[in-house]
Amino acid sequence: MSEFVLQADDVAIHYGGVKAVDGVCLTLERGQIRGLIGPNGAGKSTVIDAITGRRKLTRGRVQLRGEDVTALDVVERRRRGLSRSFQRTSVFGQMPVRRQVELASHKMHVSDSAADADDVLQELGLDALGDVTAADLGYGEQRRLDLALALVGRPSVLLLDEPMAGLSVKESMDLAQHLKALASRRDVSVLLVEHDMDVVFGISDVVTVFELGRVIASGEPAAVRADARVREAYLGSAA
Amino acid sequence: MSIRRIASFTGIALAIGTTIALLNSGTVLSLLTQATIYAIFALGLGLLLRQNGMVSFGHALFFGTAGYIVGILLQLKALPAEGAIVAAVLGLTLFAFVLGLVVVRVPGIAFGMLTLAIGQMFYLTASRSRGLTGGADGMNIDWPATLFGAPTSVLLKPDSMFLLCWVALVLILAGLAFLLRGRFGSITEAVRDNEERARFIGIRTLLPRAAVFALSAAVTSVAGVLSALNTGFVSPESLHWSVSGVALMMVVVGGYRALWGPALGAGVYFLAKDILGDYASHWMAIFGIALITVIVFSPEGIAGALQRIATRRGAGAGTPCIGTAKPSALH
Repeated sequence: MSEFVLQADDVAIHYGGVKAVDGVCLTLERGQIRGLIGPNGAGKSTVIDAITGRRKLTRGRVQLRGEDVTALDVVERRRRGLSRSFQRTSVFGQMPVRRQVELASHKMHVSDSAADADDVLQELGLDALGDVTAADLGYGEQRRLDLALALVGRPSVLLLDEPMAGLSVKESMDLAQHLKALASRRDVSVLLVEHDMDVVFGISDVVTVFELGRVIASGEPAAVRADARVREAYLGSAA
Repeated sequence: MSIRRIASFTGIALAIGTTIALLNSGTVLSLLTQATIYAIFALGLGLLLRQNGMVSFGHALFFGTAGYIVGILLQLKALPAEGAIVAAVLGLTLFAFVLGLVVVRVPGIAFGMLTLAIGQMFYLTASRSRGLTGGADGMNIDWPATLFGAPTSVLLKPDSMFLLCWVALVLILAGLAFLLRGRFGSITEAVRDNEERARFIGIRTLLPRAAVFALSAAVTSVAGVLSALNTGFVSPESLHWSVSGVALMMVVVGGYRALWGPALGAGVYFLAKDILGDYASHWMAIFGIALITVIVFSPEGIAGALQRIATRRGAGAGTPCIGTAKPSALH
């Protein structure tokens, strides 16, 4: 029997008459990587906002490891293991790298937050930059710091909003392979929103395709790639 | 900053203060006392900017009201002077915390305008409550013969008054440095830098911001009590927005990134006032040019410029430059 660590049922977010997300169902099994693709404005980031509690649901329900977290705020969901990174790099600009990662770990009530922070920094190749202020980091390093802040405290679900945005092809492929290994090693399930098709189809166990706030296809990468509706709606000639 | 460094700086600063008190005349010490009191005021205002990224245009509210609370409590004989001092500082801290829970939610310039409005509300109230506060004429504060066991007449001598204010400044600086090097400092910096991200690492962002606002008010109210002790008088002018403006100038000139920057700014302000005041009645115009110069050439103030020079010297001595270290490859 599969174990859903994350289950979003009939999630909808409407802004007046605009249905940004409309009746989406998504699940994540333990250790699974689910790629989420779709054209710009399809509602991918809004779904992440909905699941993490950043935006209020018009209707629907979010469950984390069987617990209904719909009524909980961002902080409570994070404490229960629901973590995210941001489309636009979101770090603490004036703080040294290690200090902010250690703080994030401490806020997750990790007993040895210093060791947890060191572990994550090492995992992401940031251990040599612990004393550097975040604003002085290179862009790729800031992306990894964003990921480090999401990874501390051993979350069970990681929602990544275009983690490869702005990275070179090589950096993207490196990070993608690293993500795959990391998800397995840290026993974290990943919902990956990403525009880079090679990355999504390369590391995802399952892929979901969005269009106009609705799921139009979902399944194993090969099946989704072959889906005529997906090819027509999104992949086009790139398929 | 390590505890040992904080302790060393505290020791050195106290020694410097004692030397100044012993070597200088009453006139110089009176000026330095005033500068030190405003240094504490600016320290409180700078703390709000440093830890919350918020600019208050109404902090004179806490400065002036501290004096009024002591004055009124003594006039009504409601509390002994020591109790009145504690009540003023704690009362204003609590008031600022509750007020902070509301006002720190307001972002940017609106926060500044809100603090200005609240400050002016207190100014007008003090100006018009003639029966209680003496109205626009202000009120004399009836200090008792002894304060915390020491004869008030001795405390009010220029050297002991300066030393009292200086010790207060140094201890507040040391206390804040100690507090901010810990978890409270990290949390408030994180909230200041990126409030949304802070929530996503599990920080509730309202309480830390209100706590900084309260702490800032507490420091400023200590300055208000010391000013009331120094002059024996409090008037609505001490609540006026222009007093907040002067303190803000000190923060900008001194620089707020370094904890001690605003205190340095107060020193520079009073030094400029004393020196330039001898040559020009409109000395503020000259100080204004100095202010513009600092903002243009060192937006982080004099303290920021000094820190940059120190960092360059350190880098010259072999410290690696920030941001040039290369990460190890992803593994």
